[in-house]
Amino acid sequence: MIELKNVSKEYVKGKEVFTALKDISFRIGKGDFCFVTGPSGAGKSTLLYVIGGLIHPDSGVALYNGHDIYSMNSRDINLYRKKNLGFMFQQFHLMPYLTVAGNIKLACNGKNHAEKIRYYLEKCSLATVSKKYPSELSVGEKQRTAFIRAIISDPEILLADEPTGNLDQLNSDVLMSLVKEYNDGGGTVVMVSHNREFEKYATRSIELLQGSLQ
Amino acid sequence: MNPISLILKELFYRKVSSLIILLTVIIAGTVSVAVYTLSKASENETRKIMREQGLNLYIFPKGTNLIDFYSVSNTQAFPEEYVDKLAESKTFDAVRHLTGILQVRFPDWTDPNGSSHQIVLFGYKDEAMQRFLPAQETMGFDVEKGKVHLGSLVARNIREGDPFTIKGSDGIVRNFEIAKRLEEGRGMIDQGVAFNLSDLQEVLGMQGKINKIEALGCVCKDGRIKNARNQVQAIFSDLEVTEISSIADARENQRLMMNKYGAFIIPFVILSCLLITGLLFYQNITVRNREIGLLKAMGKPTSGILFMIIGKAFILGLIGGIIGFFAGHFIAEYFGKEIFRFTAPDIKPLWNVFFYSIVLFPLLWMLASWIPALMAIQIDAAKTLSQE
Repeated sequence: MIELKNVSKEYVKGKEVFTALKDISFRIGKGDFCFVTGPSGAGKSTLLYVIGGLIHPDSGVALYNGHDIYSMNSRDINLYRKKNLGFMFQQFHLMPYLTVAGNIKLACNGKNHAEKIRYYLEKCSLATVSKKYPSELSVGEKQRTAFIRAIISDPEILLADEPTGNLDQLNSDVLMSLVKEYNDGGGTVVMVSHNREFEKYATRSIELLQGSLQ
Repeated sequence: MNPISLILKELFYRKVSSLIILLTVIIAGTVSVAVYTLSKASENETRKIMREQGLNLYIFPKGTNLIDFYSVSNTQAFPEEYVDKLAESKTFDAVRHLTGILQVRFPDWTDPNGSSHQIVLFGYKDEAMQRFLPAQETMGFDVEKGKVHLGSLVARNIREGDPFTIKGSDGIVRNFEIAKRLEEGRGMIDQGVAFNLSDLQEVLGMQGKINKIEALGCVCKDGRIKNARNQVQAIFSDLEVTEISSIADARENQRLMMNKYGAFIIPFVILSCLLITGLLFYQNITVRNREIGLLKAMGKPTSGILFMIIGKAFILGLIGGIIGFFAGHFIAEYFGKEIFRFTAPDIKPLWNVFFYSIVLFPLLWMLASWIPALMAIQIDAAKTLSQE
């Protein structure tokens, strides 16, 4: 499904060159739960965003079902993200001017997913706060909202960048059980976290150190 | 989610910033509409004052005794087609507005009470302008056929609702609807009646005749009278030209000066407001970089992101343009009452300006948001979304 071949990425800051990814090659199959770990600055997020079509690698290729993501035109790359990917972030990135339901609808791509939204709101214990704005939510509620937004349009791949980074243990467990359920239903998960505690949910693990696979 | 609904929600969420942008449009709209409306009112006022003060030039048959002319005696008549010939002549460009007039003293008009009076009758031909020059608004009297405008002294003798009745040279009594009762203090017309030229010609049996041409709106350089005289006499050697008033020039110059001020103030205010708007949009984009990054990550196309920014500018430009138009009109009307003696009651909303307001302001404000919108689509989604 996803395959990276000899992917490298460097960042230049002034005279300093920082290697984020160094000759990375690996494959993620459909239904995999890939846990990417490593210390801060190891290149975990860069790897996730390379898969997400948001960071163009300096060299190597990122393939989705055999197609090079970065040789697509901008329309196709947008379509790739829209149809196949769901993103979750440590900072949730909810639209502050939309309610919980509004934030979820934002990802519906114009389709009417009312029933599905209701189902997930109930499932994620958000039904009572569906008309509230992000500023009125707890961090756990915010991240569960972000989770529903990420999966509401049935993407094939869920890309999660430190999704539990701002959550306490209880909320982290709730969220991870939801992610696991998505994975059990056939969804592919690539989750970046420095907290190895959640490795138990994964079907495979990748460790990065200074941009290289360990 | 509907993109317009998204724009509106963001607009209401960031109320202060949106209100300031809206305010810039309102200020620009108000100032532009107020200055333009006042400038138009000034133009009309000048036109009316010029009529009041007398005109730039009179053209009349050579040999006319000017003492008779000014004392409203009947003077020699000439063909009304002279007006059209002057208007069509490419060698006559000293003045723009030409009105053929038949002006006669009518010694025996009987009012509805049966009293006899001497009044002055004015017949106005539709204004003619040099047709080979760019079109301009007319400045002369407009009296419709079958109707009359009554001077204040004559009007006192006729009850409201009654027609104006006059016995023609053919002995037939004719009735005319009174379209206007003019205010007093307007000179000779106070003791007169204004007709459409063809009506008066019929009353007097002077078909096809006029006895003077009024030339309006001439702000000529020194030597204009000589120039105008030469031009007229080159076409009609039997006509003479005389200058009537220099006060009219002063008014016209005053109006032109106001137009110049308007031509400076309006662009200055609009540009300043556009600059402020551009900066506010830049700030808006900076605040929203994560939202925009998220939309990109969700696969929203560049056009969709541009639409969100420019659409907001359009909505604010449209609302501001509409409010600005009415506010500008209100200000023009309010201050116009103080400034303009004749035109104040005629200051009405200029609907063609309304049309420009609802087109121009959204367009300009979209333009002001264009660079920030381009910056928005350049936002690095990965960078903004991974920031803690």
